[in-house]
Amino acid sequence: MRAAAALRGRERPGLRLCFGAAPLALYIALPLGALFVVVPVGELASHLGSPMALRALRLTLETTLAATFLAVLFGTPLAYLLARREFRGRAALDALVELPITIPPVVAGVALLLAFGRRGLLGRHLELAGVSLPFTTIAVVMAQLFIASPFFVKAARAGFESVEPRLEDAARSLGASPWRVFWTVSAPLARPALVSGVVLAWARALSEFGATMMFAGNLPGRTQTLTLAVMTALETDLETAVAVSALALVLALAALLGARWLGGRVGVPNV
Amino acid sequence: MVLVSWTPAQAEALRVFAAASLTEAFREVVEAYQAGHPGEGVELNFAGSQVLRTQIEQGAEADVFASADVTHAEALEKSGLLGPTAVFARNRLVIVAPTGPGRVARLEDLALPGLKLVVAGPAVPAGRYTAQVLGRLGAWLGPDFVRRVEANVVSQETNVRAVLSKVALGEADAGFVYASDAQDAGRVRLVALPDHANVVAEYPVGVVRRSPRAAAARAFVALLVGPTGQAILRRHGFTP
Repeated sequence: MRAAAALRGRERPGLRLCFGAAPLALYIALPLGALFVVVPVGELASHLGSPMALRALRLTLETTLAATFLAVLFGTPLAYLLARREFRGRAALDALVELPITIPPVVAGVALLLAFGRRGLLGRHLELAGVSLPFTTIAVVMAQLFIASPFFVKAARAGFESVEPRLEDAARSLGASPWRVFWTVSAPLARPALVSGVVLAWARALSEFGATMMFAGNLPGRTQTLTLAVMTALETDLETAVAVSALALVLALAALLGARWLGGRVGVPNV
Repeated sequence: MVLVSWTPAQAEALRVFAAASLTEAFREVVEAYQAGHPGEGVELNFAGSQVLRTQIEQGAEADVFASADVTHAEALEKSGLLGPTAVFARNRLVIVAPTGPGRVARLEDLALPGLKLVVAGPAVPAGRYTAQVLGRLGAWLGPDFVRRVEANVVSQETNVRAVLSKVALGEADAGFVYASDAQDAGRVRLVALPDHANVVAEYPVGVVRRSPRAAAARAFVALLVGPTGQAILRRHGFTP
């Protein structure tokens, strides 16, 4: 450990630096800790047993896993394209793919409505075919995919870029097809980054609120995810709202630690 | 309903705490008040009535409290924080549908299978009123009608303005909102809801007991309940 620390140019912090660094760390720690103080830990369980919380938890797990799966399925080729190919418009595509990270989620929700809503650009044709997306569980997954997929693409792209091109060249020179090179060389070597991208995208899908509220609405059991349940419970039942918030915090913490552990284990820098 | 907006702070300004549904109307009332009291500042604080009540209980400096719900004003009156109150406006629920030909032409259409109906959630006042209206419709058109209407609910919004925007965007076939909300909104049309099935929301106003600007506060309330205030409220869809 010490050798590794010295290698990265790290030393023990001085008093002044500690004072400088402490405020922000405490500022983040205090509210998160408060979630567990307001409602005693023993009582959290009883509030989480409410049908509202259970249905929201179940729906959240189903939709976030679906959104993460789709982010990997469609994000992997996109990330590989951006990492390994040169073409006109590459910079524009790169910016486009990362845009959902910076636009406000409510704006994303409005945009999804204007595209896939029943009067939307594409949605009006779907409506004629008898398909209506807003206010469905599919709409929840779509909102999460829109907001969360860039986190996977960004991580996967960094992972593919970190693979030595000559390893791929070597495989190709031995007669492997591009498809085979990807599956036997690029993907396994980029695996830690891919895994950490999966966890980050999942965590972002978990915290999705604004786009879901706009595009999918709020109906228990169909579109009410954990974050929407917190917002709804706040109007009447503060303790349930806090309990559900604490649960979301635990899931987010698990995701973060998972990403750290999976990334750190193989010595790949975190994204 | 959680929208809070402060106009820039001014020394000795009159502080009016008003329910979010009064936003547009009260901006005009303040203009009328200031026309008669040049140089006097007025700060408006809009939020859900429940939030405003909590703020006053926690010691927020308020001079006038206008609530969208009698219970919150009564609670403050009982605890001695608010002087006597008077109902200055009433609001009804209306059914809105997107403009243009839609699936909902009359009340009975709300039960059409596959219709998309958006309502306010049971936790917010508008949602409670919606549930009461559905109860009355059940007594009139039968419990089966209400069951079919409830099956069509695709979203329970946390805010009545969100109901309105989803209908205006055409994403929902219909929704229940306050008459005052529907008044200023474009892109929606009203579907008749008979009076006997409707509920009336009463808006009480009062002067906060420890207000340091009680005289100005009383003048504001007098304007509100007088012909000028009532005309403005009527224009915004409230009934006297």
